[in-house]
Amino acid sequence: MRKLLALVRRELLAYFSSPLAYVVLTAFLFVNGFVFWLIVAYLNDPRTRAMAPLRLLFGGTMYFWLLLLFVVPVITMRLLAEERRTGTIELLLTAPVTEGQVVMGKFLAAWIFYLFLWLPTLVYVGILASYATIDFGPVAAGYLGIALLGLLFASVGVFTSALAKNQIVAAIFAFAALVVVFSVGLIENLVTNPLWKNALSYMNLWDHMDDFAKGLVDTRRLIYPVSLSGFFLYLSVKALEAVKGR
Amino acid sequence: MIEVQDLTKRYFDREVVKSVSFFVPEGEVLGFLGPNGAGKTTTMRMICAYLPPTAGSVKVAGVDLAQDPLGVRARIGYLPENVALYPEMRVEEFLRFRAAIEGVPAKEVPERLAYVVDRCMLGDVQRQVIGTLSKGYRQRVGLAAALIHKPPVLILDEPTVGLDPRQIVKIRELIVELGRDHTVILSTHILPEVEQVCRRVLIIDDGRIVADGTPESLRTGFSGLSAVTVELEGADGASAAQVLGGIAGVEKVEVLADGRFQLAVRDGKAVRREVFRAAVARGWHILELSQSVPSLEDVFLRLTTREEVTGEAAAEVSYA
Ligand SMILES: Nc1ncnc2c1ncn2[C@@H]1O[C@H](COP(=O)(O)OP(=O)(O)OP(=O)(O)O)[C@@H](O)[C@H]1O
Ligand SMILES: [Mg+2]
Repeated sequence: MRKLLALVRRELLAYFSSPLAYVVLTAFLFVNGFVFWLIVAYLNDPRTRAMAPLRLLFGGTMYFWLLLLFVVPVITMRLLAEERRTGTIELLLTAPVTEGQVVMGKFLAAWIFYLFLWLPTLVYVGILASYATIDFGPVAAGYLGIALLGLLFASVGVFTSALAKNQIVAAIFAFAALVVVFSVGLIENLVTNPLWKNALSYMNLWDHMDDFAKGLVDTRRLIYPVSLSGFFLYLSVKALEAVKGR
Repeated sequence: MIEVQDLTKRYFDREVVKSVSFFVPEGEVLGFLGPNGAGKTTTMRMICAYLPPTAGSVKVAGVDLAQDPLGVRARIGYLPENVALYPEMRVEEFLRFRAAIEGVPAKEVPERLAYVVDRCMLGDVQRQVIGTLSKGYRQRVGLAAALIHKPPVLILDEPTVGLDPRQIVKIRELIVELGRDHTVILSTHILPEVEQVCRRVLIIDDGRIVADGTPESLRTGFSGLSAVTVELEGADGASAAQVLGGIAGVEKVEVLADGRFQLAVRDGKAVRREVFRAAVARGWHILELSQSVPSLEDVFLRLTTREEVTGEAAAEVSYA
């Protein structure tokens, strides 16, 4: 446990001492600021129906998804690829830590950094709360949805970073994989077979966020991202074991 | 302390380490010698539980690699060939991180940190960012990281490569000192280094051990032979060769040129005395009578130059 903590700590330190982290942070704030402005403008429109305003911030716009599909690969691309490129992985994996601990440490650090990116959006919640009455249940659920989504996306990023030695390649792979993971669920809207529809609804991330933003916390919305990220982390460990000497 | 049995590593269809076996007793400093690509790094990485062996077994301080790879890792301090460190970290920060993942108890960390900083002469760069250190300092940070958890075994892959001569001397002294209370395996291409630092040498070529012994025993040849060169005046080549060959202790006579002979001898001193007597008795003049012990370079080149590792050398090796 202490070893895992040390691994996470080191990784977070690496995040905050790299310029990329600040670029990502800036881009993230910029896009979310824009979305927030949209929300405010939209809500100021007298024709707007009364609705939970933060549903738009939490996955209700395409911007949200575009941002995540780009940002997460950028956060995770460095993790294992860089260790292998520079050779620091050799020193890391000759210390008494398992591949599993290394993968977990990287993953948790990426996830924590991802959550950190969302932290400033609490300001928007505060601003909205001071102008309108806000139901905090859906807000909390929305953040839970975002955190769960982060688990899933970060695990995919860790996996591609274990496979590729080159960061950019890792990022592109992660982006492609995430587009697939995101799109699979959307097929739900295209099929009519109820069996398929039911299965795909599990994987529908858009609905995942929509449910959370509405304040609906359904266990299957918890199970899908958690189990899938577990699967990707398992693959990452196997990949790391296979490629570390190369 | 380190037991290696039939260790083999195959990459695809190429065996780069071929059934290597050796034993390193506690407290020994063992030198790994071998040309580029011989398999030194690969062997060390397998012992350190980094690369899984294709076949064979390794035991470090009584811990079996196959059963408890983490236990093996915990008992070894490893300095890789290319010391890659995290450039954004400060020296002290990095050593603390290493201490944590090596499982050094939290309350022992300050003491261990002070010890390795002192041992590796890092006092003046402790707060510096690793990315800004010179190669020599980075090497020393790597060594400090290898020592932080008090490992009984040290495995150092070319520890002095890329250092200036003064640093090399210092690091060698350090290794000799560490050899007093650690079991050490180090690889190098620098032959004098081996003679200074190691009590025992393994020469590896093409994934196989081709020689094993103390530097002295390797130098005097595996068969214990040394070379005596004789130049005679007034002697007939063929008969002189016969006379020289008849002297007790001479194993082989080689005619180098007219009147010049090279003898492979067992006891150089006695043979030279007899050569002198024989020459006096026959009225020959001795123009040269010298004995040379082959350098480790000679041995190394002879053993690792592929064409020459044929019948004769192979016989010598099995003798060793
Ligand atoms: N991942 C790999 N895939 C394929 N072959 C490899 C791999 N790693 C090493 N080799 C090969 O294994 C052989 C032994 O390499 P190794 O690095 O162990 O040699 P070495 O004795 O340490 O050489 P040097 O003195 O140059 O450091 C080389 O021929 C190398 O090309
Ligand atoms: Mg090497």
